[in-house]
Amino acid sequence: MAYIAGLDIGSALSKAVIMRNGTLISSSIRPTEGNFVRAAEHVLADALQKAQLAQTDIERIGACGLGVAFIAHPFTKITEISCQSRGTHSVLPTVRTLIEIGNQSSRVIKVTPKGKVADCLVSDKCAAGSGRILQIIARVLGVSIEDLGPLSAKSTHPAKFTTGCAVFLETEAISRVAEGTAKEDIIAGLHRTLAAKIAAMAHRMGVEEDCAMTGGGAVDSGLVKIMEAEIGKKILAPQEPFITAAIGAALIVAEK
Amino acid sequence: MFFAGLDIGSTITKVVIKNEKKICATVIKPTGAEHRRLAHKVMEDALSKAGVPFEDVDYIIATGYGRINVPFADRQVTEITCHMRGVNWLFPAVKTIIDIGGQDSKGIKVENGKLVNFIMNDKCAAGTGRFLEIIAGVLGVKLEEIGELSLKSTRPSDISNMCTVFAEQEALLRLSEGTPVEDILAGIHKANASRIHSMVKKIKIEPEVAITGGGAKNRGLCKALEEKVGFPVVVPPEPLITGALGAALIAGEQIAKIDKEELQERQKKRRLEAVTFFDDESTKAR
Repeated sequence: MAYIAGLDIGSALSKAVIMRNGTLISSSIRPTEGNFVRAAEHVLADALQKAQLAQTDIERIGACGLGVAFIAHPFTKITEISCQSRGTHSVLPTVRTLIEIGNQSSRVIKVTPKGKVADCLVSDKCAAGSGRILQIIARVLGVSIEDLGPLSAKSTHPAKFTTGCAVFLETEAISRVAEGTAKEDIIAGLHRTLAAKIAAMAHRMGVEEDCAMTGGGAVDSGLVKIMEAEIGKKILAPQEPFITAAIGAALIVAEK
Repeated sequence: MFFAGLDIGSTITKVVIKNEKKICATVIKPTGAEHRRLAHKVMEDALSKAGVPFEDVDYIIATGYGRINVPFADRQVTEITCHMRGVNWLFPAVKTIIDIGGQDSKGIKVENGKLVNFIMNDKCAAGTGRFLEIIAGVLGVKLEEIGELSLKSTRPSDISNMCTVFAEQEALLRLSEGTPVEDILAGIHKANASRIHSMVKKIKIEPEVAITGGGAKNRGLCKALEEKVGFPVVVPPEPLITGALGAALIAGEQIAKIDKEELQERQKKRRLEAVTFFDDESTKAR
């Protein structure tokens, strides 16, 4: 049986997986850094190297993401939503509601028992509901994204924000810092603002259990916890929340 | 008799001193973090420019988001009312005012000198001066120059994002693709104008239309808005002061309503000084 590659070239991160017979052989995640061509080339080469394979060993490539058009090899294009749905289903088969928080967008996907997309809501018009806010505030506070969760958990008085706009939130966060508000409280306040926005989207679609979260947002344990409180359901997170769409791309193309 | 209007904006503070006939002095200064409580400094500037001692000012009205921080004001009036009055004095035929501030934008409808409707966005940076400020920053062009530069464009680039954060990234991407800065700026001004237009049209845009606020100083933005609106717009000679001017006009009217004794009593109590503390209301963000 031949090897299949799945690529997800996102606005912030590029991900690649190599699979065989539905089993993950290797994976790689690299920052896109505004150069889709180079990112796609490097992330695939990296995954191949980890699997000790050559480009010629790959029979098919399935791909999705914002930068999908920049992949230099022949590939089959699949929508991100189908890939997310299928990939998450393969690692967490019980999931019916999938919340993906990416760099430029957030999505709520209703997944069928077979891993297909039943319904989907997307927020990609504005940074207010996306993972970008987490990066902006992490930079203002001088902490890394991974630290946001543990810090948020320590908050006793979450800060209140009057806006969802990423630009104004940044200004407000700076004002709060100047007033002496603790980092923990600013982060927890931010998590609440973001979670409220995404939860509203999830409620609009209807939340069916089990729920899962993928994308960069899933790495932020603070956001996951507050999202759980907002939607009133337990949220599962795959072990590797970044590569679910790449896995889905490989699985879907293998069947074609 | 002298009247004063102070407009403490999020970005810029403006003062107008007026007598019954004309404007005696205007001062425009950045608000700054600390200057929010230093309105008296700007007032002092305006007084010395007009050659009027503080004691001779009969009535003072403060407006703008920082209006609460002017301890020597006799009254606070919302900036919507003040803008409307200022524009109506300058251009009596104007029915629709589009005000583009540093952190918000507004649409105001006027009929026979009365405020009939308004709409406002202060929740999202798109469509405000902040949007242009951020884009100017990433492109390395001065905010004052982006408008003129955008007018040189022959092929405005297509900026599909309304969101400031995404548009910033889109502008950078265009730059890396080799698109000339003036074409990117023309696209950015179009995107900002279209955001403002789609808000203001909810209250029906009727001629004449005036543009005020910092955004009105940007010729590129005015042109992009004019194209969206579909007919020519008017811009005051100094578009920043309409709020402060309106405040001074309202101050002039107030005097007629108060008897002389009360006026003198007020003047005695008035002190030209800094705010020493902020109450809860004034420390709220923006």
